[in-house]
Amino acid sequence: MITNIIIAGVGGQGVVTAGLLLSEAATIRGMHVVMSEIHGLAQRGGSVSVDVRIGEVYGSIIGRGDADLIIGFEPIETMRAIARAGNKTQVIMNSEKITPVSLSMHDKEYPSNADLTSMVDKSIKIREINAVSLAKKAGSYKSVNTVIIGAAIGLGILPFEKDDMLSALKNRFSGKLYDINREALGYGMDEILSNQSVSLS
Amino acid sequence: MIEMSGLNDLLINQPGKKLFLLGNEAIARGAIEAGVRVATTYPGTPSSEVGNVLSELAKKAGLYFQFSVNEKVAIEVAYSSAISGLRSFVFMKHVGLNVAADPLMSIAYTGVRAGLVVMSADDPSMFSSQNEQDNRNYSEIAHIPLIEPSNSQEAKDFLRYAFEISEMEHIPVLFRTTTRVSHQRGMVELGDMEKREEVGFFKSDPANFVALPVNSMGLKEKLVQKMERLKAVSESSKLNRIETYGSGKYGIITSGEAYNVLMDAVSKYGLDVSVLKLGFTNPLPEGMISKFLGEHENVIVVEELDPFLETRVRMIAQMHSIATKIFGKLDGYFTFSHEYSPDTVAGSLSRIMGFDTKQVSVEIDATALPPRPPVLCPGCPHRATYYAVKRAVKMSNIKNPVYSSDIGCYSLGVYDPYNEADVMIEMGSSIGVGGGFSNATDQKVISFIGDSTFFHSGIPGIINAVHNAANVILIVLDNRTTAMTGQQPNPGMNINGMGDPAPEVSIEAIVRAIGVQYVKTVDPYDLKSTLLAVSGALRENGVSVIVARRECAMIRDDRMRSKKEWKTFQVNPEKCKLCMNCVEKFSCPAIFIEGGKVEIDQNICDGCGVCAEPYVCPFKAIEEVQTA
Repeated sequence: MITNIIIAGVGGQGVVTAGLLLSEAATIRGMHVVMSEIHGLAQRGGSVSVDVRIGEVYGSIIGRGDADLIIGFEPIETMRAIARAGNKTQVIMNSEKITPVSLSMHDKEYPSNADLTSMVDKSIKIREINAVSLAKKAGSYKSVNTVIIGAAIGLGILPFEKDDMLSALKNRFSGKLYDINREALGYGMDEILSNQSVSLS
Repeated sequence: MIEMSGLNDLLINQPGKKLFLLGNEAIARGAIEAGVRVATTYPGTPSSEVGNVLSELAKKAGLYFQFSVNEKVAIEVAYSSAISGLRSFVFMKHVGLNVAADPLMSIAYTGVRAGLVVMSADDPSMFSSQNEQDNRNYSEIAHIPLIEPSNSQEAKDFLRYAFEISEMEHIPVLFRTTTRVSHQRGMVELGDMEKREEVGFFKSDPANFVALPVNSMGLKEKLVQKMERLKAVSESSKLNRIETYGSGKYGIITSGEAYNVLMDAVSKYGLDVSVLKLGFTNPLPEGMISKFLGEHENVIVVEELDPFLETRVRMIAQMHSIATKIFGKLDGYFTFSHEYSPDTVAGSLSRIMGFDTKQVSVEIDATALPPRPPVLCPGCPHRATYYAVKRAVKMSNIKNPVYSSDIGCYSLGVYDPYNEADVMIEMGSSIGVGGGFSNATDQKVISFIGDSTFFHSGIPGIINAVHNAANVILIVLDNRTTAMTGQQPNPGMNINGMGDPAPEVSIEAIVRAIGVQYVKTVDPYDLKSTLLAVSGALRENGVSVIVARRECAMIRDDRMRSKKEWKTFQVNPEKCKLCMNCVEKFSCPAIFIEGGKVEIDQNICDGCGVCAEPYVCPFKAIEEVQTA
């Protein structure tokens, strides 16, 4: 049994941290995990993606079509990652838009959801969540990635439970920060459980 | 940087304990376990984290760590420690070994006393490099042993083994990773700790350590003998092993990351293969390979980049008159370029072995998506410098300027809208190449170099330009750190790799001593002063130097956040005339257009305020956000 997760976003959004948290939750369960952690040229602002592979795997690269889950921190980056999706891939997409400089400098605006989805194969189901508002509700914008992780756990396809992730969060945060992240995790889970609607197709 | 288990976990003496480590963190642990006393580097991705970790832990681990000025000096410092009886470890990215190649070739001759391991982190697919050269070839040129790990566990264990090999024959050992090995995170079982020598002693022995021709003649013969003896060690090494899957019909020979992607393809398609996995790849286990060839009708060599193993496997087959069919790159089944993936390897294997690869990926035209290439960070002082330089060149009516750039974050100045990198080759090249343009053309030459790169290898280029009367403006982008590789200190700073106070080496004093007359230091956030300094330099002849000094935005951001002195800017829509200068010409990632209005993303803005200056916004429409 192998679980392949692609996490995609923009440098500075916490993509690597999310990969570490998912990996740690799996290792708490005693599972074998391999994660890719490529640092490109830019410190912030460029496309970033991390592959997390849980189970009996060797390398850190997820083959084309082999992702079980794509977690997109940003719509354009979600679409870029979907190019590696297969017919079994589920997708969670955070709605927070970060306009690439390549658009702004040519006086262009962020593409509409309709324009983005017109590129995608209709067989792909994308669940969009507003993780920023849920993170703020939990107490801090910085808990955005914990909200998104909560949503991923809520899908029920990851090989670990909410409690494993709470242990992983506890290893990283204490006091009020832990409380905020625990709330954020719950909000993300609830959002997926209560709202299975597919907003982008 | 390690976050999950905490950096100090790398020091614990609990053999058997498991940690989830980045390949480079595992290597740092391996150096600590091996009793390394001296570790040196010049930071370069994908090797950088090894240095970050060892710099942080050096004192607690009882080892000396140095961020050296460049890779050549790093290897020299490690070498003198190793010939003084201290286990020493020097590590760098692949292109860094070119800089260090001169000493490497000759220390192979003299040999070492305590173990010396030289790590090269290669970068197939060039995630953060100018080329993807295959440094396994250096082991052949230098006649030194080569070790190639595949994952984090092997990275740690094989490094310890490399020290054993080094001390067995008193020879430097090349330890080669690639990006996917150095930046793969996986479970690592810790080992025990070896004793660490405290102080070295160098016993003079000029016949062995002075590489005069008369000495080197004999040393070369000894070196060849050492490698001859190591053949038997490689033959019985636990690093070289055979794994069989199914009936093992096809033989496959592989090493490094290629083993990982191969095995993922083998599992996915349930292939009947016998895999000879090599970790000790120079000298190769010739007997093991010839036996393996003899046992299979077909053998496939799977390796990234150069046909390093393949040519040698074919050589062994020829020497042993083995008729086995060998498949690889030389007959076109595998590519010479870029890293492999489970898909590319499965594709090549399917052509040889004849099975169907199931491609089930979705259809999406990703090329239609707006690109998001790496960009200078919000608040990056280089953006301000590039903006000011471009304005100054335009205002001075300079036609066809040539921009000669260098290696660092500022290489990103090549992109729109700055377009201030016409040529960029290697560390320290901006000024040498710039001086050459001044010989070859009548064009105005502007060279850019970062502070760390200036010290690394820029200085000889400046001496050359001054002495040979070149016309070059050199702009030193001094952001007070080695930024792109993760903010390591350099000689321009008042701290060293041990975290101790250190003398700052003055860039201005160096260039003045070389004979540069026009030397100006500016704060790039002050666009007007920067513009004036560049305009002044454009009127000069000879070599002029402008030091654009302002600390890296990431360092400033961390400090401002911790002091809770965070501020941001916003666009006042009543004052904004939609001239679009800020988005089109300044192009900070925080500034964007929505609903026909210019906006500043409050989550991204770092409050540098350069966009609010009249040179960017002549209408004073960008204002600091006032918090209640």
